[in-house]
Amino acid sequence: MQLTALYALVLSASGAAVLGITIVLVFGFRATSVQSITGAVRSNQFSRDFVAITIGGAIALAIVAVASVWVAWLLAGRVLSPLRSITLVARDISATSLDRRLALDGPDDELKELGDTFDGLLGRLDASFSAQRQFVANASHELRTPLARLKTLTQVALSDPSADAASLRTAHERVLASEQQLEQLIDALLTLAEGEQASGRRAHLDLGNVAARVLDGRTAEIEGSGLRLDASLEPTAATGDPRLVERLLDNLVDNAIRHNEHRGWIQVSTRGGAVSVANGGAPISAEELEQIKQPFSRGAGERPGRADGYGLGLSIVQAIAAAHGAVISVSAPGDGGLRVEVQFPPDSPRAESGD
Amino acid sequence: MRVLVIEDDEELAETVAAGLRSARMAVDVALDGTAGLSRARVNDYDVILVDRDLPGLHGDKVCAELVGSGCRSRVLMLTAAASTANLIEGLGLGADDYLGKPFDFGELVARVVALARRAHPSVPPQLSHGDVTVDTAQRRASRGGRSLELAPKEFGVLELLLASQGRCVSAEELLARVWDEEADPFTHTVKITISRLRAKLGDPPVIETVAKYGYRI
Repeated sequence: MQLTALYALVLSASGAAVLGITIVLVFGFRATSVQSITGAVRSNQFSRDFVAITIGGAIALAIVAVASVWVAWLLAGRVLSPLRSITLVARDISATSLDRRLALDGPDDELKELGDTFDGLLGRLDASFSAQRQFVANASHELRTPLARLKTLTQVALSDPSADAASLRTAHERVLASEQQLEQLIDALLTLAEGEQASGRRAHLDLGNVAARVLDGRTAEIEGSGLRLDASLEPTAATGDPRLVERLLDNLVDNAIRHNEHRGWIQVSTRGGAVSVANGGAPISAEELEQIKQPFSRGAGERPGRADGYGLGLSIVQAIAAAHGAVISVSAPGDGGLRVEVQFPPDSPRAESGD
Repeated sequence: MRVLVIEDDEELAETVAAGLRSARMAVDVALDGTAGLSRARVNDYDVILVDRDLPGLHGDKVCAELVGSGCRSRVLMLTAAASTANLIEGLGLGADDYLGKPFDFGELVARVVALARRAHPSVPPQLSHGDVTVDTAQRRASRGGRSLELAPKEFGVLELLLASQGRCVSAEELLARVWDEEADPFTHTVKITISRLRAKLGDPPVIETVAKYGYRI
């Protein structure tokens, strides 16, 4: 409506201008060729011509004005149609139909740019929603085996005809142990979800310190598994969410312990804004390496008896690293084992002081 | 009845095994696909429970391998993926049945028993000979209406002899199909179990010894 009025106005104004200028020019000539303007105005021929042209002009202007409204309406419609299609599509799109796109064709102008930008936005939203749905599907999948464990333990214990207090007590203890693992699993899943969102908190960290803390917490487990630890931790600065970075390191060390061989070794080093965790063990093929990098996967060679290897560890590491803009490189040396290095971006001066 | 459980979650595997054993079945456990396949090649199982998400060799591949090698065991797939699409996919791979986790244990036992019936020439759920009856679904035996208190292996032997419908069953076959891996093949365990079973069955005798071969009912 606004555009139509604008166009109509412009067209009519142009028409009026043409008419006015023509009248002025024509009668101005006539006037100069007569002695004076007053004299010219008094001349009958002049006034008759003037009136004729003015009336004719006014009628023409009226016709043009009406026509211009119609033309303006058509023009406005043509210009606005991309905007209209954007509005219609936008009205239709909801979280379940984010795969629709405008895909405007036409000249490479501002409207196409608007359409393309809108498509870009839809693309990002779609990817984000898909990732969330995938995550929920994976998580519910991961939770089912621990739940089956709890259910089967309880049902078998209850259906045992010779069940007594002792056997039921044992069953309950096993249920508790399974529940504990389930809690850890849920905790890990939440960290993964959290890590996948952009983490708001940024503080100055010393990776060497964080690594030392993590290793402290794992000393008993490392010794208990008969593994040799080689730690070279230099003070090195990075920026990040301290809790998540600690979680990242803890997961790397946990993986290194779990996927190790009997009397194997673990090596942890921090230097130049990067932390690397390596462990010895069975050789890993290129195919297995690709598998390991997929979220929720489990590599071959789990130590039997450690049923808590949910394969989430590396996914959490990837998610937290991505949120921090850190780069992960995973490699499998020929003589066995795995090496994971996480390179953090240079320390940002705007972060709060922490750690 | 002899069952193999292939499941990488050790706690779950052992619990399922314990539950199946208390339902009078002989159960072996394998914690990954490769170990499971080698067990299946060596021993003769009525039913094999396979978890789909196995590390290393995926459960789908294990199932395909079992079916492709003409193994007569029935395969029941256990899985965390329990949508209809997954079920169709699993059955399409050659599995005989498919159960999603978490499952009801009573249902698992019922399905295993139903599958085992079909592992041989089809056998009805209630086996009987004269006045001796074995209810394979309820895992109970009785004679002349009186319930028999049988140990798991005694029950297994009686079940197998009745299901064989007069066919002579050797001691080796009894050992292979009623006992699990823990059994020592060189003891007289089969003989001892048969004599105990005979004692419990009472008169008139039901189990016939075929000299140098085995037993039959």
